[in-house]
Amino acid sequence: MSEFLKILENEVQLVALAFMSAVYVLRLLWMFRFKAPQDFSYGVGSSKVGVAYSMMNVAMPWAMESVRRNWSFYFQFVIFHLGVVAAISATFIIPYWPQLFDVKVVVWIFQITLAAAFFVGILRLIRRISKPALRLISTPDDYFSLILMTSFFASGVFAVPNKHTAGEWPLIIFFAMTTFFLIYVPFSKISHYLYYPFTRYFLGKLMGHRGVFPRKRGGEKPAGLDNEKALTK
Amino acid sequence: MIEKSINIEDVLSLPLDPKEQKKAVEEKVPCVAEGRLKVYDPNTNNVKKFLELLQSRLNRSVVGSMTACVHCGMCSEVCHYVLARPHDPTMVPAYKGDQIRRIFKKHFDWTGRIIPWWVHAGSPKNDEDMNRLKNIVFGTCTGCRRCTLNCPMGVDTAILVRLTRGLLTELGIVPEGVFVVSKDQWETGNQMGVTEDEYLETLEWMSEEVGEEIGDPTFKIHVDKEDCDFMYTINPREVKYDPRSIGHAAKIFYAAGESWTMPRWGWDMTNFGLFSGDDKLGAFVAKNLYEAAKKLRAKRIVISECGHGYRSTRWEGYNWAKYSQDISSESVLVTLIRYISQGRIKVDPSKNSLPVTFHDSCNIARSGDLTEEPRWILKRVCTDFREMFPNRADNFCCTGGGGALSMVEYKPLRMEVAKIKAQQLIDTGAKQVCTICHNCVDGLGDLIRHYKLDMQVVQVLDLVANALVVPEKKEEK
Ligand code: SF4
Ligand code: SF4
Repeated sequence: MSEFLKILENEVQLVALAFMSAVYVLRLLWMFRFKAPQDFSYGVGSSKVGVAYSMMNVAMPWAMESVRRNWSFYFQFVIFHLGVVAAISATFIIPYWPQLFDVKVVVWIFQITLAAAFFVGILRLIRRISKPALRLISTPDDYFSLILMTSFFASGVFAVPNKHTAGEWPLIIFFAMTTFFLIYVPFSKISHYLYYPFTRYFLGKLMGHRGVFPRKRGGEKPAGLDNEKALTK
Repeated sequence: MIEKSINIEDVLSLPLDPKEQKKAVEEKVPCVAEGRLKVYDPNTNNVKKFLELLQSRLNRSVVGSMTACVHCGMCSEVCHYVLARPHDPTMVPAYKGDQIRRIFKKHFDWTGRIIPWWVHAGSPKNDEDMNRLKNIVFGTCTGCRRCTLNCPMGVDTAILVRLTRGLLTELGIVPEGVFVVSKDQWETGNQMGVTEDEYLETLEWMSEEVGEEIGDPTFKIHVDKEDCDFMYTINPREVKYDPRSIGHAAKIFYAAGESWTMPRWGWDMTNFGLFSGDDKLGAFVAKNLYEAAKKLRAKRIVISECGHGYRSTRWEGYNWAKYSQDISSESVLVTLIRYISQGRIKVDPSKNSLPVTFHDSCNIARSGDLTEEPRWILKRVCTDFREMFPNRADNFCCTGGGGALSMVEYKPLRMEVAKIKAQQLIDTGAKQVCTICHNCVDGLGDLIRHYKLDMQVVQVLDLVANALVVPEKKEEK
């Protein structure tokens, strides 16, 4: 392995990771500067249950009509995010646990996941460009982030075999992209996962308190029917 | 149900009409003179004020919804405006949310401050831009929260829309109807400008009617009676246009041998602050009611049928007023369930034999907690109850929500998007649509007339009162 690649895989990554973490800490501090809303009403449900339900929403595709109307979108979502997990894991496995990629099956699993995520990325791009409504709301950051992720998956397909002897370019490209990612992500929409817990927490807390979450499907006991809890507090 | 689609530019370019505002200034209407209700001032820097107000209104939950949208477009699958106008991308909830989000990004977010074009950050330049913003948030969204529950990120677009409405209300950049109703509620404590005399006369009239019906001339709707089991609060529409619903409630309470009263002041459980985004008005109205209950030492507050009224009184009002709830409050539906289940009233479902379906009000199903309660009652007071699909928290707005009924300038668009609800109603094959909201009664009534549906709107109290087996003279507590 060349000295350049070695530094790129290690020191450069660590510095970039430290930068991203620092920016995220600042970002979280910024979020916490805003006051959390307070509820002064008696609840009929549990905020905690509501929060748990809201957080689990991602694993309950049937709970949202928008997904029920478009199941393929949910599968795309799962594949795309599995690709993200695979790509991020690869950035740690290659420098710190390279033996894992000596196992052919593991490499294939990673390659298939990344390739599938790549195709989903292309599909998402086509959808974003071809649907007028999505075109209207899409920003340059939306396009750039999607293209970046999709290319990252593609570069990952070639990087995970981790074969320096066959030429270092796939690894150099993969790690150069990782570095760029770590620096760019906190300023882009890709950092949505940082905000996800906030939005889902507050929505879950509110809806749980009011008994809207967990969603009712029919057959639940109505308030007023010996359910004195609902009448008082 | 093919309708000519209206040109959205005609809606978005509707000018501000401050006629009523000017009149209120000339007449020195107290809420305006004292600055509780703001009027439009073309000579002030409204953009600057808007930004200052925005800064003061941000909380962590709102900031989450400002930052978390990934522009995935999932919300476009569920908004009735989009479903009715699929050709019009400006109907997408994320687009409506983006109108305030872009301002937030430009002034409060890192990337938006440094490279605004990269994230479509931007600021309104002048009052004309703010007027356009007004037409988007008041004219193209009923705040139904359907998109909220269907956003994978948990972004609450409806809350962003309400926040924006509230900022514009503080600048007087609002539809005329919003100003007029807000003024009425500030001045008279109720949305329809009902005077105390009108209110008391209506209660007297209803007392006589009910007394006659039940054969008890001594029957009386008590006003300001202390130490009752509950204080009953209503929608001013009941006084103005539908007093029989007060009569229905009174008849049922009589049959149940209830101890109840209505307050002289603080009886309006509706709250235009929810629609205008004006938390101060919201707090004023809600507090009137909570304090009335306290003064009368009522054990409970019972809220008559109204979607936004229930949401405002039962949930939001306490937060707007920063008033720690000290008395239980419940919907009249819960009261009715108690009566029926405890045998305090007897009902005969054969009196309601027409096929009836139920429309869930957005403010109750998605922002409140009552979905099973009306169904439980309807199945006991009607012989042919038919479910509407989708239902409960997935139901579609009556299209009259969000204060839309007071904004006549947006009615053509409202009627166009109502075709989604109209189709839902037709598919049930029912002859009656029951709702627990006076606002929905008007919203559904409008679309039933517009689409010439063979259907009538009723409320739960109507059906229960109709099915009620009136007992022999009962001792009222
Ligand atoms: S569904 Fe949510 S995240 Fe997706 S575009 Fe709509 S508001 Fe944004
Ligand atoms: S709140 Fe309702 S009307 Fe408004 S954008 Fe969302 S789905 Fe559409």
